[in-house]
This record gives sequence, C-alpha cells and structure tokens, in this order.
Amino acid sequence: MNRSDRSRLIDALIEDDISEADFLLLEAEMSIDPQVREEYYQRLELATLLETTLGSEVVPMPTSATSSWWSGARVMVAAAAVVMVLSLASIFWTQPADNGFAPVEKLAQGFGVVVGQVDAEWADGRLLADGDLLPAGELALVSGAAQIELFSGVSVIVEGAAQFEIVSPMEINLVAGKMRARVPEAAHGFLVNSPEGRVVDLGTEFALDVIDGQSVVHVLEGEIEWHSKDQPMQQLDGGQAIRFDANGDTEAMAADASAFIGIEEITARRNSSRVAQFERWERYTTDLQQDPRLVAHYSMDAADQWSRRLPNGVMSSATQVGEGAVVAAAEVADRWGRSGQALDFSPTGSRVRLVVPGEFRSMTFLTWVKINSLDRWFNSLFLTDGHELHEPHWQIMDDGRLFFSVKKNDNYDSAKGVQDKHIFYSPSFWDSSMSGQWLMVATVYNVDARETTHFLNGQVLSRETIPEEFLVETTNIGAASIGNWGMPSREDPAFAVRNLNGSMDEFAFFAAALSDEKITEIYQHGKP
Amino acid sequence: MNGLENESAFVEQLTDLQLALRIYVQSLLPGDPSGHDVTQQANSTIWRKRADFEIGTNFRAWAFSISRYEVLNYRKEQARSARLGFSEELNETIAEEMSTRSEDLEKRHEALRGCLDNLKPKDRELLLHRYNSSATLKDYSARSGRSVGGLKVTLHRLRSVLLNCISNRVATEEGRA
Repeated sequence: MNRSDRSRLIDALIEDDISEADFLLLEAEMSIDPQVREEYYQRLELATLLETTLGSEVVPMPTSATSSWWSGARVMVAAAAVVMVLSLASIFWTQPADNGFAPVEKLAQGFGVVVGQVDAEWADGRLLADGDLLPAGELALVSGAAQIELFSGVSVIVEGAAQFEIVSPMEINLVAGKMRARVPEAAHGFLVNSPEGRVVDLGTEFALDVIDGQSVVHVLEGEIEWHSKDQPMQQLDGGQAIRFDANGDTEAMAADASAFIGIEEITARRNSSRVAQFERWERYTTDLQQDPRLVAHYSMDAADQWSRRLPNGVMSSATQVGEGAVVAAAEVADRWGRSGQALDFSPTGSRVRLVVPGEFRSMTFLTWVKINSLDRWFNSLFLTDGHELHEPHWQIMDDGRLFFSVKKNDNYDSAKGVQDKHIFYSPSFWDSSMSGQWLMVATVYNVDARETTHFLNGQVLSRETIPEEFLVETTNIGAASIGNWGMPSREDPAFAVRNLNGSMDEFAFFAAALSDEKITEIYQHGKP
Repeated sequence: MNGLENESAFVEQLTDLQLALRIYVQSLLPGDPSGHDVTQQANSTIWRKRADFEIGTNFRAWAFSISRYEVLNYRKEQARSARLGFSEELNETIAEEMSTRSEDLEKRHEALRGCLDNLKPKDRELLLHRYNSSATLKDYSARSGRSVGGLKVTLHRLRSVLLNCISNRVATEEGRA
C-alpha cells in the first residue's frame, strides 16, 4: 500500500465509509507502523477541528460563482470563536441521539453550578445547595443573591427578585431583575435576552437591569452589542450604559458598577454570613452539649494531634463515654471550610474507636457526613464490634439507602425464614451527583412509639413501625467504631471492608428518641 | 484554596480539555458517529467524579482514563452491533499515544482558520457542506451537479491541503517566535 492509498483509507475510516477488507488492512498497518497512527491522529484532529469551526455556520445554497457569504477575515474569526464555544456547549449538553446507545449511568443535568448564595430564597420553596447543578427551565430568585458558574466559563451573579432561565451555557433569558456577568475569552458571544432586546458579549463584564418594560445595560469593562427589535445594532464600550424601554426610547448614561453586587462583594457577604452562622452553631452546640439525653458528642477535630484523641464534648451526661481514638483517618476541612477540623475515613482501616457502656432504651444517631462515593456494599456510619444481641448497626448501602438494625435473635435460621433482626431501610437518598456535599443524616429508634425514623438534612426520609417480634426494649453498644466495622464476624475480607469513603464532621448519640422538630432544629443551626 | 475556587478551576480545566477529549474518544471509536455522545457521557462522569480528582496531579491523564472507561462501556453495550472496531492491543496503543501527545490544539485551530480563509469559495462551500449540514454528499451532488465519487476525491485532497497548510503555518509561527 503506498502513501496516498493509505491516506485515502484513513479518511475513509474517519468518514465511516470503509469496506471490511480495507478496515482490516489499515488496522494491520496501524498496529505495526507508528507513522500510520500518527497520520490517523492528524486527520482525526483535522476532522474534529473542521467540525468545530464549521459546525454552526449558515449553509449557503451551492453556487458555482463566487459567493459573498464569507466576507472578511475579521467576521470569520469572530464567528468561528462563537461557533467554537457554542459547539463546545453542545458537546457538553446535547441529549444523546437515539442511536441505540443507552447510558447505564444517570446523566447529571444542567448548564451550570450554584457556587455561592447570600440569603438566597428561591420561589416555590426550591432548595439549592452550593455545588448543586442548576436545572433548566425558568427560575425565580425571590430575594438574596446567587453566584452561578456556567459550563462555558461565564460567571453570573443574580440579585433577587429576579426571574430568569438558563437556556444553555451560552445563553440566559432575563425576564426581570438584576444580573451581572463576567465573560472569559473562551465564552465571547455569550447572550443575555431581555424583553427589550439582546446583549451579545464581546468581552468581558457587563450588567443588565430589567424592570417594568425597560432594560438598562451597563458595560463595566470591554464591549457588548445591543440588539433591539426594530433598531440597528448598537455597540457599547466600557463605562457606557444605556436605558431602553419598550417604546424604543433610549437614554445614554454612565455605567454604574456599584448598582450591582460584584464577585468580591458576594464573596465577602458570603463569608460574613457563614461566620455568623458558624458562631450561631457554636453557641447552639454549647447548649446541646448540656442536654441530659446526649451521651456522646464528637466534633471530629483532634485537638491533640499527637495522641489522636477526640474528647467527648458532652458536659452533663450520667454515662461514662470517654474519648474516641482516631485510627488512620486523615484530618480534612470541615463543613465550615476550617482545615483539619473533620475526619476523612477513606484511607483503608480508618475509624474512630470508642466504648459506650450502659444500657439504653430508645436511641438517636446523628452525623454530618460528606460522601465521596458509595463504592462498598456497606458503608459504615456507626457499628458495634461484631454483631451481638441488642446492638445497633448504622450504615449506608451502595445504592444510597440508609440501613439501621438492632439485633434481636441469636438463634436464627435464614433457611427457615427466621431472621436475627429487622432492617429499617430508608429510600435511596444519595446519588453520585451529591458527591462532596455535606449532609446531615439521623436515625431515631423509638421504643415507646415502636417506630424507626430516618432523616436527611432535618427532613423525614422514612418512618417504619418496628415489628413486634423484632422490638428490642433494652439496647446496648459497648465497643464500637465510627466510620468502620471493628470486628467483622465473617472471614470474607471483601465483606469486612466497610470504611466510609467520605468524611464526617460531627457525630452525636442520644439515649432517647429525639422529636422530628428537634432534628430539624439541629439541622437548621448546624447547616453551613 | 477553598472548595469553590477548586470547583471553578475544575470547570476551567474541563472546558479547556474539550477538544482534546473529543479527539481522544473518537480515536478509539473510528468512524463511529456516537463519538459525540460518548464524549458527552464522559464529561458527565468526569463532572460527577470531580471530588475524586487530586489537585496537583495530571488532569488530562485523569480525565482520559475516565473517558477510556466510558468508551469500553459503550463498546460492551455495542458488542453485538456489526460495527468494526480496533483490536484491544491497537486500542491500548492508541489510548497511550493519545494521552501523551503534545499537539498545541489551539495553535493548530488558529492556523486552520487562516488556511480556510485562503481556499477557493467553491472548496470552502464543499467543506462547509460536509462539516455543517446533515444532508448527505448525495444531496449535495444532486444540487451541485458534481459526482459523489468526485466530491469524495476533492474532500480528501482538501484535507491533505489543509494539513500541509496547518503544519507550514505552525512551523512559520514557531520560527518567528
């Protein structure tokens, strides 16, 4: 095969226009000759660059004469830049075509991420945590401010009350309210539509204020184009602002950056509100530690780094639960962002060892946890050593369900359908889109009401009656581990690896059934 | 660095990697139009696994290894389709070579734009048709009065011209720098 045949076959391969015989021939050449592979890489790269560059141009009708659709290098380069970013956006977020390829895993959906909020209140009680993907469709921010990063690289701050829709990583509809956008070079061509017209960003920062039939555009830096329905396009430079109303009247003004919250300001406000929230939580914790129902409370910050001991923070308990001993777990930032104040249990063997003497009736377990992934069958939160009578096990299944049990029977025979315990599962509350988020999980074992309740972030996940035959009225714990299983009773090592792939920031055990309201209250005070 | 800065740095790195990632995935799925979807799937997985990425390590290598897995997954799904795929060994070699390739894609992209500018309008039109429209070469043949075989030959010649032009431009630019 000579060189030009080879090139032709490579193109045919890339174009999906190759016979089986030619495919095998080429594959054989590629397997032995690095030069052939190099040409394959180059031609593939060219095809991709061509797709990217030409992918969204307007296709003219075929002509044999010189056509004028491609006039001027400047226009072309600008258009190509826009096209590149747009097709990048489409690479990212178009839905898979119906080609028989069914993704096994769930797709994360959205065009950007909420990176920070200050007193943000969303319409319809929608709750968005920092780090959440922003859903498509219209969003209404009732009050406060939110910083959003789109996958195009555009950073946007929206101030409530505002109504908007993220159409794509490169386009936002602003129906009402204030929005400030910082656009990096890679995202030039970013669009914001208001009822009065459309802003096309040419770099780098602008703001838009839409109220009652008028739009005011402020160019803070760089330049933009303003396209309104009936008027010629206007180009505005940094420092300029123009007000447009629905009648087409315009008024030139000076741009006023101070009328919009900037990234520095939102960061400062977020920090100060976080500090305030943190101080509120500290005061609340001091009160909580005097609650007579609290038996063990570990804040997961080993004050003494050498001895790796966690003091039990409980101040008024009659029980004698002592300090916890940290094994292998690494110190990481807590949910307030303070470094070294939480424990990461992902290193193999990680755990906090503790001994909880005494007998209990109802019990409540509560922890702040950040899960990286649920890659084990069982992912430990709190397990007693081995699995003895009347002892609780609290963990998360690989499918995201909370697991809680108290062992009732020693003599059981699963072949005859006799179980040793009843397992209370919550519905699945976790998927990988929540990876890295701090969550508060809690489980209440209420002997008197004969029910077990699971909670996520202060809300009830599920409530289940404890079957009569599995009710354990007197529970005990003894030696136990946080974040792992101390003494696997089975020999199978695969079964025994149960350390949590994630971090814990706070762990509490109450010798009582806390009410739903109390759990909600703890969450409200403890959320960062 | 706090988590938010990490997150936006992550988005930036992932955005910058898009072209290379697309080429990487497609190189392992020769001629397969699903390359786009698999790339998107890989993007989505990379995003979900962002907490696993260790700052300071090679982002490109990390993202490529996740994408490689997505390609394998996809091929497993497609095992019964009639589509031809490279042998495991060749795929292995390609994956490795693609991961260590140090082409400056941005520079080549820029050069390509200049090269396209110097083409005859008729040639540009054909390229635009091929890389933009969903219509087939046959449609274009009917509309332009040129034979399909002839169009294929022309497209092949144009690609070779563009590759040469890109190499020359990049070399000239590097010579100047």
